[in-house]
Amino acid sequence: MIPLSNYLIVGAILFVLGMIGFLTRRNLILMFLSAEMMLQGVAINLVAFSRHHGNLHGQVFTLFIITVAACESAIALALILMLYRQRQSLDVSLWQDLREPGQEPALDLDEPPPSIEEKLADPKLIPAGIEPARPREDSYD
Amino acid sequence: MTIANANFDLAIPWRVALPLILAVMALYYLLPKPRNRYVVAGSAAGLFAIVLAGVWLTRTDGAPIAEQFLFYAFSGLAILGGGLMVTQRNPARAAISFALVVLNVCGLFLLQGAPFLMAATIIIYAGAIIVTFLFVLMLAQQTGFSDADDRTREPFLASFAGFALLGGTLLVIEHTFPDSRPLAELITKIEQAVQDKDELRAITEDKQAFVAALHHEESRHKGSVNINKFADAITDLEATLNPQNPNRIQLSRDLSEMLAVGRKIQGENAAKPLPAANVAGLGKLLFTDHLLAVELGGTLLLVATIGAIAITSRRAGRKP
Repeated sequence: MIPLSNYLIVGAILFVLGMIGFLTRRNLILMFLSAEMMLQGVAINLVAFSRHHGNLHGQVFTLFIITVAACESAIALALILMLYRQRQSLDVSLWQDLREPGQEPALDLDEPPPSIEEKLADPKLIPAGIEPARPREDSYD
Repeated sequence: MTIANANFDLAIPWRVALPLILAVMALYYLLPKPRNRYVVAGSAAGLFAIVLAGVWLTRTDGAPIAEQFLFYAFSGLAILGGGLMVTQRNPARAAISFALVVLNVCGLFLLQGAPFLMAATIIIYAGAIIVTFLFVLMLAQQTGFSDADDRTREPFLASFAGFALLGGTLLVIEHTFPDSRPLAELITKIEQAVQDKDELRAITEDKQAFVAALHHEESRHKGSVNINKFADAITDLEATLNPQNPNRIQLSRDLSEMLAVGRKIQGENAAKPLPAANVAGLGKLLFTDHLLAVELGGTLLLVATIGAIAITSRRAGRKP
């Protein structure tokens, strides 16, 4: 059978990926998805140890993890909806006035990325130049 | 298996470091940012890192081919889905990638004899939690990509810190669960030597290499409970092997002793059988040993429901 260490490695990788996602992403929903992925890594560990020791306690712990994750996602999504209603955006940086005192604010110093609206905007005609000189029609004379 | 008194070899092996460096590069290239986002190079580095980690860091220990195939398929897809989720700009696609992660983790549960957990996780996670996430994503609809999805905070520092943590974890795992194949080879060799005179003569002629291999095993199984007995058996065997013509009877007695201790060390890392009646066993355990936790879990669900309703309800005269 597959040794225990393999499952521990997979669980550790999932946990670390979730941690990196939580640290870097700025969308509130993505941050909570990352936290859920960390829980998945822990669940793999618990089930692997349950298999290794030949009892079901690890699987029971995983059931409790699922329960707590369900509660957590309910509360978190309710909070996210409230935050969205206040600022009309899911960006977590809009709430950085809640940071601890003495901490520098995180600013976006580089240029803003080209937005989709600009890329998909309607083509505009170039403004007309000086009217070119034309020979007068002299048929009416 | 105590880690506290373990003698750590702090030189980081390349087979741990190289996949991690590649993974840091991949995440740095792939995480959304206004400039310097190289999708092709990042994906190539990420896939290469996953393959290298699979080849260098995992062992199969003679598992059946089907089990190996399923393990590598499920865990590879789970890690791939995790990477996609973290690096995806579109939050809806990230939620779908997380569903991929959950389904593959369920496959890993099934491989480890947890069919009830597999069903529960698919129903609750993939069926309920992710759908709720998608609902909220649609409710909080933004026009086009926002600044929050196009930028990340400190992509290099965060991925470096994360994979440094992973490197430490991998080193501890490598140290705690050493490769079991060299010990198994030594044990079969000793088994043959106890029964067969030619093998015994081969050992006495090449005694230095044999003792060196035993000492190597001793250093790799430092975390074992039986390590002191193993060391004693090695000293006895060395003392018997040392003279020009070793005493046959003493030698075979020492070898049998060594065989017994070696099998004990081997048995420490083997998995014990799991109860076959999974659902019945889980139910019995939940409602006997963990009864209080079940009650508390039910209460927690009730409180969370009330809390979610209280947070989101908008009544007149109440500030949001």
